[in-house]
Amino acid sequence: MNRFIAADSTKCIGCRTCEIACALAHEPSHDIEALTPTRFEPRLHLVRTFQVSTMATCHQCEDAPCLHACPTGAIFHAGDVVQVDQLRCIGCKSCVIACPFGAMQVVTFPAHRVFAGIELPGGVKAEAHKCDLCANRDAGPACVQVCPTKALHVVDAATLEETRRRRQQHSALEPSGLSAVA
Amino acid sequence: MEKFIEVCPYCGAGCKFNLLVENNKAVGVEPLNGVTNQGELCLKGYYGWDFLNDTKILTPRLRQPMVRYSRKDPFQAVSWDEAIAFVAGKLGEIKKKYGPDAIMVTGSSRGTGNEANYVAQKFARAAIGTNNVDNCARVCHAPSMVGMMATLGSGAMTNSVGELENTDCVLCFGYNGADSHPIVARRIVKAKTKGAKIITCDPRHIETARISDLWLPLKNGSNMALVNAFANVLITEGLYKRDFVANFTEGFDAYWEIIKKYTPEYVEPITGLKPSLIREAMHIYAGAKNATILWGMGVTQWGQGVDVVKGLAGIALLTGNLGHLNAGIGPVRGQNNVQGACDMGALPNFFPGYQLITKPEMREKFAKAWNLPSLPDKVGFSLTDVPQAAIDGKLKAMYIMGEDPAQTEPDLDMVRRGFEAMELIVLQDIFMTKTAMFADVILPATSWGEHDGVFTSTDRGFQRFYKALEPTPGLKHDWQIHSLVATALGYPMHYNNTEEIWNELISLCPSFKGATYEKMAGLGYVQWPCPDVSHAGTKFLYTGNKFSTPSGKGQLIAYEWRAPADKVDEEFPLVLGTVREVGHYSCRSMTGNCAALTTLADEPGYVTINPADAAKLGVHDQALVWVQSRRGKVMARANVTERTNKGAVYMTYQWWIGACNELTIHRVDPDSKTPEYKYSAVRVEPIADQTWAEAYVKETYSKLKRELADAAVPLPAAAPAQAKALEPA
Repeated sequence: MNRFIAADSTKCIGCRTCEIACALAHEPSHDIEALTPTRFEPRLHLVRTFQVSTMATCHQCEDAPCLHACPTGAIFHAGDVVQVDQLRCIGCKSCVIACPFGAMQVVTFPAHRVFAGIELPGGVKAEAHKCDLCANRDAGPACVQVCPTKALHVVDAATLEETRRRRQQHSALEPSGLSAVA
Repeated sequence: MEKFIEVCPYCGAGCKFNLLVENNKAVGVEPLNGVTNQGELCLKGYYGWDFLNDTKILTPRLRQPMVRYSRKDPFQAVSWDEAIAFVAGKLGEIKKKYGPDAIMVTGSSRGTGNEANYVAQKFARAAIGTNNVDNCARVCHAPSMVGMMATLGSGAMTNSVGELENTDCVLCFGYNGADSHPIVARRIVKAKTKGAKIITCDPRHIETARISDLWLPLKNGSNMALVNAFANVLITEGLYKRDFVANFTEGFDAYWEIIKKYTPEYVEPITGLKPSLIREAMHIYAGAKNATILWGMGVTQWGQGVDVVKGLAGIALLTGNLGHLNAGIGPVRGQNNVQGACDMGALPNFFPGYQLITKPEMREKFAKAWNLPSLPDKVGFSLTDVPQAAIDGKLKAMYIMGEDPAQTEPDLDMVRRGFEAMELIVLQDIFMTKTAMFADVILPATSWGEHDGVFTSTDRGFQRFYKALEPTPGLKHDWQIHSLVATALGYPMHYNNTEEIWNELISLCPSFKGATYEKMAGLGYVQWPCPDVSHAGTKFLYTGNKFSTPSGKGQLIAYEWRAPADKVDEEFPLVLGTVREVGHYSCRSMTGNCAALTTLADEPGYVTINPADAAKLGVHDQALVWVQSRRGKVMARANVTERTNKGAVYMTYQWWIGACNELTIHRVDPDSKTPEYKYSAVRVEPIADQTWAEAYVKETYSKLKRELADAAVPLPAAAPAQAKALEPA
């Protein structure tokens, strides 16, 4: 089973600490001063309505629509997470349309080509951004680490099973109290 | 990499972390298991440190002393000797000509530290000879201090941050913890998961309202009526603790005389709340074993702030929710050291440790300690008195430390007129600010991260923070600068380090006496009162229901509701309240120079508006609009949201273009002199040409940044002979 980040809206206070953590974790230089409005691409986003504050991000779907929609095969299963091979991304945005959670985002930036040993400007390069569970980060997903109210969790097979078991028990014992499930 | 223990320089939550330093450059933060933060930080704690590296995103750091001899001229670089001589010479002249009470001094509730505030107030009282000293607690929690002192005897949170998660009921009144103190809001979330009932009284559907059992969306400006109705329900429905009231309080009869007419039905037209909602709230609150009230600026920034604080204290007194663990009342402090600046006596009526300047024995004690025959006995000016006093010719000089009144005070036009009327403005700060543009002298100080000291967090907790970075040559610590000017004025002051200052002040303040540097080392946390070294500090106040009022009893005091001063009408149909942006702090001189925080929120700032009001005006979400009051007009970006109540709009106060304080009214609470930031009548107008408006924001922002940056680069220092000629006679 793929692991994914689950957000608990009852604990979210909408502070967006996780958005900065995400943007910084994916900034190649890891230098906070490199973050600017044009270079700030968090892969999870605060959703705020009258009653709800929560983070929207990738569910690492088992049968991922983004993966199926990608015409270049840039999106693939890597172990227990859905990843993007940015070299193959052409920025067609099919994945953005396909994702039911709005978790895909295509960003572009000026590209360079090397010709005869000289770097030349060459159009734009596109990247399909999605949560990669901070695959290259030793401490795991940055958003989960910084959330001050612990509203974000990594869910894996074991924790999902544990949740199921707890809910089964709860519903068996207190069938009328489902709304109070923790 | 080196690590240095810091207390976060932003809100009053008192979070501890290591500042990571490489080659004298700040490179990161790692949270520590501090008493209040338990290893957690918010976005300002995690990503609010890069201003230390002088990013120049908003404004440049001040690097050298500067003087200008006419406010039309650019600043000129001068040596410290010249700057000190100039300031002392001018202050001396003004004191001689107009008397010491023509000079105003400010402390700073920000990164300067307690020691710097102690020295600043000593500078005012001993070196200048005036009690004209205040800090920006005036514009935030002064009503809490005044109101709680009158009712309970002490002006601070009665409980601790850690207790909040173990209470059985949290009543949030005008308190939006999620935006102002995420790490305190975290405890409210924890309380909820532990089963506490949450009640939120706020016109906006704030984050806490979302997780509340009960939300009371009262009309803007009806606080006193609601609090009185709470008391009315507690008494008429027999929910209050008769024994507690009989044994530990005074004034019930007079209190009831006022409260009795404030039935939920009577206040319905004022508050807009269904009577059943008010009754239910009090049944939950009084039914909880331990209940806690938290409030913020939604209670204090009113023309009737002090009265409402007394009213909230009354609710806790009626139900006996004081004097024991996990209950109490908490004005949650907004600036990291606003509690500390007050503790240190940066107030016009108190010496350090809340010892009244009007008491002869206190004056005698401090005069003796400070080697003076006597100290002034007249209560000084408050910060909010300054513009009018300057316009009236009563104040001639202002010595500002680490504050930006040209951004943060109400009715900025009046503030500017006040500044213009003064003969001398000295600004001691770390960044070029809007206030700096009015200054005659700029004295560059070290920043948080570049000096040692002690902060007081919101729950009376003294904590040490450590110097992590070597300041660039040419900067001095705030306390060094004040000491030099005092000495030049003929009152010798000298300290070698902050511990010397701390030891002097705790020896003069009985309730701080046991809080030694040693005890506060590392992650040490000492909550006052701490009368001696063996004392562990005080988690909650009033054990045994003994209050620190003169009689030892809690005072029940009620007031009639008064309507806000500004009036909404056809021309100005909306109420403007000023509120907080989670990622920015105070005037944003620090957070505005942090890359991540500025990326998240920048000019011109938002005006939030209900979809119904927006639709009526033809205002679209994210469009630029004009917001105009009877005092000014600014541009802001519309944020159309159902969380904002109909008939009201909200702006945050740190923006230059969307500067809401151009709009706010200068009406203050008569007892605390705190401005009514929460109620100014305005109108919102759509702008047809959005392309022009976007360009206007961009150009204006660049121009303002450039002006401040240019001003921070002074003309080179004059040749020695010329400089000498410029020195005051």
